[in-house]
Amino acid sequence: MSLNSIASVRSVVATGLVATTLTTSATSLWADAGDPIRSLTLISRAQAANPQQFQAAELIAQAWRELGLDVTVQGLPRPQQSDAVWYNRDTWDLTMWQMVGRPERSDPDEFVYNLFHSSTAPKGYNFVGYVNPEYDKIAEEQRLITDKEERKVLIDAAQDIIDRDQVYAFLVHPLKTYALDKTVWDASSMVEQPGLGIKNFWTFVNAAPVGDQTDMVLNSSDELNAINPFYISGATDSWITELIWDRMMRIGPDGLPQPWAAETVQWSDDGLSVTLTLREGMMWHDGTPVTTEDVVFSFTAPVDFAPMYKPFVDGIEEINVVDDKTVVMTLTTGNAAFETSTLSKINLAPKHIWEPLLAGLGEGENAESVLEETRIGSGPFKFNRWVTQQEVVLDANADHWSAPKMDRWILRVVLNVEAALGMLRSSEVNFMSDYTGDPDLLIEAAEADGDLEVIDSVDIGFQYVAFNLRRPPFDDANFRRALSAAINRELIRKAAWNGYAVNANSHVSPALVFWHKDGIAEGLETGMDLAKSILDEAGYEVVDGRLHYPAGQTEAFVE
Amino acid sequence: MGYVLKRFVQMLFVLWAVATILFFMFRTMPGTPLAAFIDSTITEEQQEALIAQFGLDKSLGEQYLLFLWNLLQGDLGQSFFFKKPVVEVVWEVFPNSVILTLTSLIVAYLFGIVAGAYLAWKRGSWVEGMGIPLVLTTRAAPEFWLGMVLLAFFSFYLGWFPSGGANSSGAEWPSEWQRVTSADFLSHLALPAITLAIYLQGLPLLLMRSNMLNVLQEEFITMARMKGLSTWSIVMSHAARNALLPVATAFALGIGGAVGGNVVVETVFSWPGVGRLLVNAVAASDYPLAQGAFLMITFVLVVMNFIADISYHLLDPRVRVAASG
Repeated sequence: MSLNSIASVRSVVATGLVATTLTTSATSLWADAGDPIRSLTLISRAQAANPQQFQAAELIAQAWRELGLDVTVQGLPRPQQSDAVWYNRDTWDLTMWQMVGRPERSDPDEFVYNLFHSSTAPKGYNFVGYVNPEYDKIAEEQRLITDKEERKVLIDAAQDIIDRDQVYAFLVHPLKTYALDKTVWDASSMVEQPGLGIKNFWTFVNAAPVGDQTDMVLNSSDELNAINPFYISGATDSWITELIWDRMMRIGPDGLPQPWAAETVQWSDDGLSVTLTLREGMMWHDGTPVTTEDVVFSFTAPVDFAPMYKPFVDGIEEINVVDDKTVVMTLTTGNAAFETSTLSKINLAPKHIWEPLLAGLGEGENAESVLEETRIGSGPFKFNRWVTQQEVVLDANADHWSAPKMDRWILRVVLNVEAALGMLRSSEVNFMSDYTGDPDLLIEAAEADGDLEVIDSVDIGFQYVAFNLRRPPFDDANFRRALSAAINRELIRKAAWNGYAVNANSHVSPALVFWHKDGIAEGLETGMDLAKSILDEAGYEVVDGRLHYPAGQTEAFVE
Repeated sequence: MGYVLKRFVQMLFVLWAVATILFFMFRTMPGTPLAAFIDSTITEEQQEALIAQFGLDKSLGEQYLLFLWNLLQGDLGQSFFFKKPVVEVVWEVFPNSVILTLTSLIVAYLFGIVAGAYLAWKRGSWVEGMGIPLVLTTRAAPEFWLGMVLLAFFSFYLGWFPSGGANSSGAEWPSEWQRVTSADFLSHLALPAITLAIYLQGLPLLLMRSNMLNVLQEEFITMARMKGLSTWSIVMSHAARNALLPVATAFALGIGGAVGGNVVVETVFSWPGVGRLLVNAVAASDYPLAQGAFLMITFVLVVMNFIADISYHLLDPRVRVAASG
């Protein structure tokens, strides 16, 4: 503590000196400097909702003030933040943002394409407005190349461009922390999936009970929205849908798609058609067999009835049934991510149940509004019941080829983090699948308890600062580089995330071992001096303690 | 009868005004219902489809008329996120909210009335000196803090009560009635109900006490003492009965509030209820659910008020005279 305070006193003295010298030297150049840079607002989630992000925002604002910027942090609830950033793309300057991990994000395509391709800039996920034809070309090409090694070269190049341009100032990949009760579950039967941790499909089918308790009781800190194979609703809802409904392929524990309901997946040489052979003896939960007709139905129904799944089947030109076990899908163009983003994503739904339901829909309605008695899948778990705001109960499907070892899977909605921790200790919850509190508290609780095991792993998702590239000075890559360099990521990692994170500088997480570019985070040069020298070289000047545009440049915005 | 009709028309007006305010309030709030669907895979065309599906592509005036027309037919619309009729969504958690609030209201008022009367009788004694600050402290303590303290002590430390929810995980009952009368449900109910009761007891207690103090100075009490009646008989039969009327009114309005749920207690104890539903609906800009649920609460409150007014009118001659004059 004392060492720290000495260091901070020193740095204050040092910056004071630097500021003084800059000011004196700048006075003579006064006539040459451009407009002063306007006051900036850094938007963040509100402190109560996301303390880590808010604290990081405060630390970043502090660093940027040292550069001569006037920065205020504004905490907003999520809907207001989305409104300010997502739906009013021309008016914001800076915002904290995060991407979260999901199984289908185990392929880099979703982030590489959607986050930075210019086509998603007007309304899609490229909300920062990054337009770079060179990047677009790479993002498009990597989709068409099915050879992994060749594609890796392009994914690396994409990471390099984003690193060079510092489109985002990446901060960290947080660690996902989960815990289980060792007196209930055999810890060695947990399966760790890179980027997702032990809370994943494979753990749920594999978890072995050690005693009489054969129900897995999990927790969610979010309310549930819907359980529907044609509706992508909340994040927690997706844990449930992937257990009830099978998919042709599944993202394996290694992060790569592997055959699932399809016993074999055979690509043609041109990569434009894929032959899928359905597994023998598959049954729906109501006892009727799964047929190739069901497969065709599941991949065609989204076109008209499931707007959220439609983009994932858009690339399919036609599906032909060859015999009672085989279908052939023909694609309009090659798509390297097809196995991940389509075959591992589309839920197989029974035609005999869904077709009449869809036929009975009124105008303006779609599959999302179909409810209740429709939760028949073929997956390793059967839907039992959903008690609103309280719990979802699934029963193990003993007839499944990959039958779970547990009897029931019970997800409890627990809004209060402390209560969730208390429940874990009192065995009311025996698998903590959602923990938003301080990881240290969880580890302390585990040590005090003795029966608990805490397992954490690096997230596919990441935390970052987004610049609005539509608005100067953020259209200048040098300016962005300087701002990014001024951020002390080590401090943020330790102070805001309590050390439960790794530094980030890429949209492809180190959790995706194969795709992540090694050393890209360590390679990012940072430091306050570096930041100042980048600004200096680019012509930005500090006049009376306030950062100004390079000579001749005026502030185009009137606040 | 003219009075009843007049009050009835007023009630309809209030409902229309509240419905209108709710409609415009949620639509002028920052945020859009699309925010809950932001995803890296969502496309422009999907966003437009959602807007059309929610009916938000129509003009505000058109939306308003449609809303009123549906309302007249008793249709509160369909929740954007649950994709279910609003009435159905609210109804699922309604019984839990009502049971929690009613239980704690009854406990709080029974305790408040007796303790209030007692403290009034003990005016000037050390009992009052200790009692009043204690009541004020419990009344001022934030619910979430109180809830966490009770949770930490009775649940985490002593392990007497479960830590959240309305039932044990995976438990099932043949009927709703058997569920809410089961020992399992009652043990889950205990902590949230006690928390809420401690929070609620201050009002009836202080109200009862000050009414009692007024009544005790009235001449008929002096008369009763002069008649040589016992202390107990004076407090209970003469004073308390007269002091009770305003407390009963507060109770009636409290029942009206019960439908609104209790966001804080419901969140601390993960208790399923209308309060949580409302907070989520507002945060996610689920307009139909938010305005529908608020409207249902308003309806119950306004009706309870109407009934209270009418019954006063019938019960108390002074009110009747004032109204007709």
